[in-house]
Amino acid sequence: MRVFVTGMGAITSLGNSVESFFNGLVENQSGIKYFPEWENYVGLQTYVGGPVGDYNTSLLPRTVRRSMSRMSEMAVLATFQALEHAKFTDLKKLQSSRTLLILGSTSGSPFALETYFRKIFEKNGPQGQLSTSFFKIMNHSVAANVAAALEFNGSLLSPSSACATSTQAMILGWEMIKSGLYDVVIAGGADELHFLSAAIFDIVQAASRKYKTQPESSSRPFDQARDGLVVSEGAGIVVLESEAFAKARNATSIAEIRGGSYICDGSHMTQSSSSVMAQTMRYAIQRSDITQNEINYINAHATGTIQGDIEEARAIEEIFGDSVPVSSLKGHMGHSLAACGALEAIASIKMMEHDVLIPTKNLVIIDEECRGINLLQKIQNGRVKTFMSNNFAFGGMNTSILFSKV
Amino acid sequence: METFVPDDNLVLKINDLMKKGFEIPNEKLTKNAKLVDDLGLDSLDAVDMLVFIEDEFGIKVDGEKMKSLRTMQDVYFLASDAIKKSTNKVI
Repeated sequence: MRVFVTGMGAITSLGNSVESFFNGLVENQSGIKYFPEWENYVGLQTYVGGPVGDYNTSLLPRTVRRSMSRMSEMAVLATFQALEHAKFTDLKKLQSSRTLLILGSTSGSPFALETYFRKIFEKNGPQGQLSTSFFKIMNHSVAANVAAALEFNGSLLSPSSACATSTQAMILGWEMIKSGLYDVVIAGGADELHFLSAAIFDIVQAASRKYKTQPESSSRPFDQARDGLVVSEGAGIVVLESEAFAKARNATSIAEIRGGSYICDGSHMTQSSSSVMAQTMRYAIQRSDITQNEINYINAHATGTIQGDIEEARAIEEIFGDSVPVSSLKGHMGHSLAACGALEAIASIKMMEHDVLIPTKNLVIIDEECRGINLLQKIQNGRVKTFMSNNFAFGGMNTSILFSKV
Repeated sequence: METFVPDDNLVLKINDLMKKGFEIPNEKLTKNAKLVDDLGLDSLDAVDMLVFIEDEFGIKVDGEKMKSLRTMQDVYFLASDAIKKSTNKVI
């Protein structure tokens, strides 16, 4: 059973559509800004982030909007884009036990969590909490709110695995369609930018601290002068369909998912392991119907952390040597956490479509320990028939997914 | 029986809360407007209305009394009554 991508939607720090997002990458733009107000937080030493620009949710009814924080708003907008792209104009056709939504985020809304707990401590109890507080902070907030916005009456799953979330969602969607249980899967993830999201990484010394006066110079995946990741926000959503279903409704297939895997280290919460990363990539290939020689681009997770980038470079080198061009897009758009897997897949699909390879932004001098792989430093023409996209998360969560041109 | 006439200032403040909190246009906020049928409010909104009123006036409102509210006039009365029962509260 073949599984195709028929629609894509993106809300990013580079633009609020797939086209503006991709154009931003092609034009080597940066979505990273300095946040002077973050300097007021005691103990926080990172002051850069990738915010999404203004968007409009006023078309949604108030009773749907009231339980949404930014992450749900962005996810809804990206979902509508993806469905429009897939030409699902009649949403009633989605109301089926054979349609599955798989959407997630790292956690509930950090904005809502901050408001919720500030009030709890101020009042020494739950007095004064708005009725919708919990709906913004429950872990399935994104999934539930997108379903409400679509008036979706079907199957719903809500994975929550931080940076691996949306890749897990896409791989699970592929598995579910291949199993024959579902015809359509809407998969992806979203996260919002808040100082607490940046603090998660800053506390473990993984966030970028040195570039507040030149925010566009961070993050710097694989670069000798990298100093950590930059948190951003966004939403990435794809529509997946079985070959038969897509054909029956004359849908245009944009790409095909060929394989994927998600494997946990079972060891350290933050230290990634190149051997398990390599295992994950190999297993993705094993579960597919392609050979590794057919992969002609790798979209790396590489966030700009000192050790994480090295581990991923080692893993890629172990399997591919320097035979396959590699880049990370987090230098342009920052790390959008739960959204990054879907957004990076979308960007890579656009690279396939336009025969162009986007390099890693801010990669000026490649770190010696990452030189065993073919890292792109300049935009170039390149025909991509199949790409691999990796995402790795705290807790030893490793994912790798393969897409091909159709 | 004495008919309750809410203070103008109270009406203005409560109407403002309703506009901001529930996106209800001014012209709909008449004293006889029904909270559910005319203004489209539901049980979650009732919880939030109580929070808005308590926060705005610095008072405590008996949540049980929310269940008997039917119109904007009922809301004005509830708030006015709660304010009177609090000490030194000025509308």
